[in-house]
Amino acid sequence: MRSGLSGWLKTGSFALRSFCLVHVIHNHFYEFTGTRGESMLPTLAATNDYVHALKLYRDGRGLTIGDCIVAAKPTDPYQRVCKRITGMPGDIILVDPSACVSNSPSSMDNRAGQNGEESLEAEPFNSFIKVPPGHVWVTGDNLAQSLDSRTYNSLPMGLIKGKIVAANNFNQPLWKNGRFLGFRKIENSYVDEVAR
Amino acid sequence: MSFIKSSGRFANSLLIGITWIPVALAFNENVCYIAKIQGSSMMPTLNPSKTEPTDWVLLWKWGMKNVNNIKHNDVVLIKAPSNPRKVFCKRVKGKEFDSVQTRYPYPREIAHIPRSHIWVEGDNAFHSIDSNNFGPVSTGLVLGKAIAVIWPPSRWNTDLNTSLGREDIRVNGFGF
Repeated sequence: MRSGLSGWLKTGSFALRSFCLVHVIHNHFYEFTGTRGESMLPTLAATNDYVHALKLYRDGRGLTIGDCIVAAKPTDPYQRVCKRITGMPGDIILVDPSACVSNSPSSMDNRAGQNGEESLEAEPFNSFIKVPPGHVWVTGDNLAQSLDSRTYNSLPMGLIKGKIVAANNFNQPLWKNGRFLGFRKIENSYVDEVAR
Repeated sequence: MSFIKSSGRFANSLLIGITWIPVALAFNENVCYIAKIQGSSMMPTLNPSKTEPTDWVLLWKWGMKNVNNIKHNDVVLIKAPSNPRKVFCKRVKGKEFDSVQTRYPYPREIAHIPRSHIWVEGDNAFHSIDSNNFGPVSTGLVLGKAIAVIWPPSRWNTDLNTSLGREDIRVNGFGF
């Protein structure tokens, strides 16, 4: 019979060891976790989607353009963001062609006022960035509702925590069309227009 | 018979030992770690001479991704922004929302540091790849804060808190 202090110690040490084992697995190998937010629609739903993340890809190891990643947010490292890589080191990126339409309503007035003169708001159409070594360019799949590299610039690979390989939807029934809880793979969506 | 019994006991304690490995790993990852300092960018605070063995420092990791726990003039180890597998050891020269006076390779004279970012420089200002090259870094890249030199013993009482690089480079009152 366990009793008294030694019983508590045994339980405590068992709990500590199990907790640390789970923590190490979560950090280095695999994590199953919920996601929130509209930024990855339609790949991931805004609520109740759970993703399978492989942590072997942390620090950008073996990732390529088009992969879906989970990373620490540069402006708040305790938050995590889920984005898709849309530029690798050395790539030249057109920053945001939509910025002058969506973000600055005054751009139209400015352009109307200055005849012949290129206004600053027209810049998004020809402002390019070269992704520095060790960084990637990330954007959400839902460009209209996503805070990403267009705002905080290229993301250091050191902040990448893992690659998202699959997802479950907990709104789906347990078993439907041969899929468990709406299981689906999340694949690299990159299409090389030049090679085609 | 006794041989089987004792080897069984040995295997048992080995198994129990193995179950403690994740605890050690988690502790080293999140609380405390001993790190080797390479390179001369923090000379003369760390690695003062090339002939002596390199310094090993005690690294405090708990909560160091929170910018509020990082103080001005702390010595921190960060993942290099240009290569996540490299580690840089630098001194914090500015924190979020500060404005700092930059040096040559940086394109602007004054840099404003965004939220949860820090400005780092080496004490050996002219042999250091630092924020003047790569800009402010996110605290998500901070691995930990060096709190003491633990090896070699001759350098046990090294003072890490006194900056030997540039003076205080924060500027305020520029209307920001």
